[in-house]
Amino acid sequence: MRLLLAAAAALALLCAAPALASEQHPTQDELEAMLVCPSCHVPLDESNSPVAQQMKDFIAKRIAQGATRSEIVDELVGPPNNFGPSVLGVPRTHGFDLIAWVIPFAAIAVGAIGIGAGAWYWSRSRGSPPADPGVAPLDPAMERRLDEELAHFDG
Amino acid sequence: MRALRVIAAGVVCALLALLVWDVAHNSGGKVASDVDKGRIVKAPAFNLPRVTGNGKLSLASLRGKVVVVNFWASDCVPCKDEQAELNKTAAKWADKGVVFLGIDEVEVRSFAQKYLQHYKVPYLSVADADAAIAGKFGVTGTPETFFIDRRGRVVPPHIVSIAKPADLEAGIRRALSA
Repeated sequence: MRLLLAAAAALALLCAAPALASEQHPTQDELEAMLVCPSCHVPLDESNSPVAQQMKDFIAKRIAQGATRSEIVDELVGPPNNFGPSVLGVPRTHGFDLIAWVIPFAAIAVGAIGIGAGAWYWSRSRGSPPADPGVAPLDPAMERRLDEELAHFDG
Repeated sequence: MRALRVIAAGVVCALLALLVWDVAHNSGGKVASDVDKGRIVKAPAFNLPRVTGNGKLSLASLRGKVVVVNFWASDCVPCKDEQAELNKTAAKWADKGVVFLGIDEVEVRSFAQKYLQHYKVPYLSVADADAAIAGKFGVTGTPETFFIDRRGRVVPPHIVSIAKPADLEAGIRRALSA
């Protein structure tokens, strides 16, 4: 058990290390991929608009100054540049933006519950099938004839 | 099943109400088009961060003065071409109750600051980083200039592209007399 826990911890550390390195030493490419041009609304790495060029310059300068990924992103979203959360390619996973991550899963859960409830209601309301009113009972002569035919086949 | 129908109808009604509210509160483009038709309309309120220095500046704080609002950007060539005239006119009217205010459109702050420094702009500029205020005014590009009277109303003319001295004078005089 201890061995399993140690392995899990080592795996977690192994996964966390690149994320931590990316946070502390972000690259130009990764930041350009995660940000969006505020005027043309395409990823920064695909935009050549004037403001996109300004943002790229800003990112390069801040990376050279040793800023972390969060610092650079925060400075573009909030003060001093104040572009707002619309420059983020994906919503943040904290604060108000967390709603954007939660709502799709909540919608799926609500949908699944709705479908389940609907299926349950439908299966209960069906009950036993009613007798087919379109089939009239055979008259005695026809029934006798049918029996004879069947006996002929059996014989 | 009836409850599900009620919930679905409720969701549809809520979405419709949201759409109606958005349409009713979105005056995008209306100020510019109204002023272009010769109408006098209430200026959209704003409270934006200053490009240089700290803090924000609200339009309401300038009530009682005529405000010449110029939308600009540092990468905009016509803005550079008209800047000397704006500087000159701002200086001329400074002691006559007329304030010039630049609204910088969607820029990294340091680029806007360099522009203001390079062109020795003598008046304040605020940053409209997400173009929300430009949208409320109905601005379609830079530069564009509006004139706001002492009561906070936008008066004609609305100058699109480079502001000529005569147009600036006419706008200021109209706002002063409104």
